Amino acid sequence: MSDEIVRIKGTKSGLQLLFAAGATYAAIEKEIRAKLRAGSGFFCRGTVMHAMEGSLSKDEMEKLKRLFHESGVIFSVTRSRIPGATEWPVERPRRKSARAQKRPAEAAVQAEAAVPAENAPAEPAAVQASSADDEAVQMVVVNKTLRGGQEVRTKSSVLVCGNVNPGAQIIAGGSIDIRGTCRGLVHAGAFGNQKAFVVADHLIPTQIRIADLIARSPDDPQQIEKTARPERASIKDGQIVIEPIER
Amino acid sequence: MSEVIVITSGKGGVGKTTTTANLGMGLAMRGKNVVLVDTDTGLRNLDLLLGLENRIMYDLIDVTQGRVPYKKALVRHKKVENLFLLPTSQVKDKSAVNPEELVKLCEELRKEFDYILIDCPAGIEQGFQTAIAAADVAIVVTMPEISAVRDADKIIGELGRADKENIKLIVNRIRPQMVESGDMLDMDDINDILSIDCIGQVPDDKMVITSTNRGEPCITMDKSTAGQAYRNIVGRLLGEKVPFMTFPKEGFFSRLKHVFGM
Ligand SMILES: Nc1ncnc2c1ncn2[C@@H]1O[C@H](COP(=O)(O)OP(=O)(O)O)[C@@H](O)[C@H]1O
Ligand SMILES: [Mg+2]
Repeated sequence: MSDEIVRIKGTKSGLQLLFAAGATYAAIEKEIRAKLRAGSGFFCRGTVMHAMEGSLSKDEMEKLKRLFHESGVIFSVTRSRIPGATEWPVERPRRKSARAQKRPAEAAVQAEAAVPAENAPAEPAAVQASSADDEAVQMVVVNKTLRGGQEVRTKSSVLVCGNVNPGAQIIAGGSIDIRGTCRGLVHAGAFGNQKAFVVADHLIPTQIRIADLIARSPDDPQQIEKTARPERASIKDGQIVIEPIER
Repeated sequence: MSEVIVITSGKGGVGKTTTTANLGMGLAMRGKNVVLVDTDTGLRNLDLLLGLENRIMYDLIDVTQGRVPYKKALVRHKKVENLFLLPTSQVKDKSAVNPEELVKLCEELRKEFDYILIDCPAGIEQGFQTAIAAADVAIVVTMPEISAVRDADKIIGELGRADKENIKLIVNRIRPQMVESGDMLDMDDINDILSIDCIGQVPDDKMVITSTNRGEPCITMDKSTAGQAYRNIVGRLLGEKVPFMTFPKEGFFSRLKHVFGM
């Protein structure tokens, strides 16, 4: 997207705000407002947004600061561009799974149905990938906390009645519903389903993947919210967004 | 009814051996017949903490391989006469004993002892599988830092896989000042992640090291704060309702109160 005026890059210490050369303040503000609306879930978490000193006037920086603060983002003006910036919060993984989306038969071959032995549900011999529209029909229920090193991998959806701890991971063809705290890695719609989502009572995963999109947690643990409220991560306008839900 | 308790952690150096020695000593001082089984073969040091190194004649491997009956290998404590140690070998490795052998040994020990405490090696390999095989209760020891808590979490998962349902937590080496300044995980975080029954919080205490050097567990020292914490844990193991101890810093204790609903 070469006509973008504002770019947001991820860095170790937060996000870096970059402006296209010669952009007017009005255009910049307009685009930031739009971005804040689209990515509200992520930006709400006390993320630190860095802007380069001198890229705007002092007054304009003040205005931006207020704008970000309204969305709970910490705005900081730094002297230099942070090196090694990578796209954040959303980045494309190397593997293109767009193909898998178009060819469900092939996706089904990739899908292993391996679940921790002790709670392996009787996986139906053939979850017909061709019959699965967008919604996964089957659901795997895990009635315990998934601890570090444990993994659930299935073509269907997953319901966890317990926590998903750091170092644990869930890879599901469908959606993932966690009745507890999610601190591990979750991948919903792992075989291309863009409509899959992740729901948890407290959503603080190391990584969320939906279909072929990835979002990761802030590097600074201080930024992670302590208060728990149910949230839902899903794809909106080509980005993973997190929003509070009622349940 | 006798009870086999394994003391385990995943990560090394968090205080398994210290905990085994202190709880064993504490239970014996409360009149129970106690045997401590060292399964950390190759890295044995439970005998050192109890000041019994110079009295070892035979070891666990001699017993499991049938060279001597277990009674010959037991070392009686110098002062507490109902406390015994079954030491392990310093020269063999952890594959020298298998789970079946330890289960069989514990069945025999159950006939003589009220409590059989097993000091487990670090890791989740064969030595761990052997150590937990006979256990009725597992005590997971951790420290208030991320890597130790993650390893504890993994161990709890492994214990679940081995059908060990009765799991207790001890958080060792708590430093109230560091928790207050946010440099250590607080009990909220630890309980939130591990979500198992916590039976003890042991402060970091220099007297633990002094006592190790003297071969007398700190539970025997009135002035040791860690010793007090271990005395409380012994009470809880015996089914008493002992409130969690106060730490010098106000802020930390109010947090504990919050966690344990005191
Ligand atoms: N509460 C404590 N306060 C201070 N030092 C401790 C405490 N608990 C253990 N230590 C020290 O930590 C080290 C490791 O303890 P140890 O019991 O040998 O761990 P493990 O058996 O798990 O490897 C020892 O030097 C011990 O003296
Ligand atoms: Mg040890």
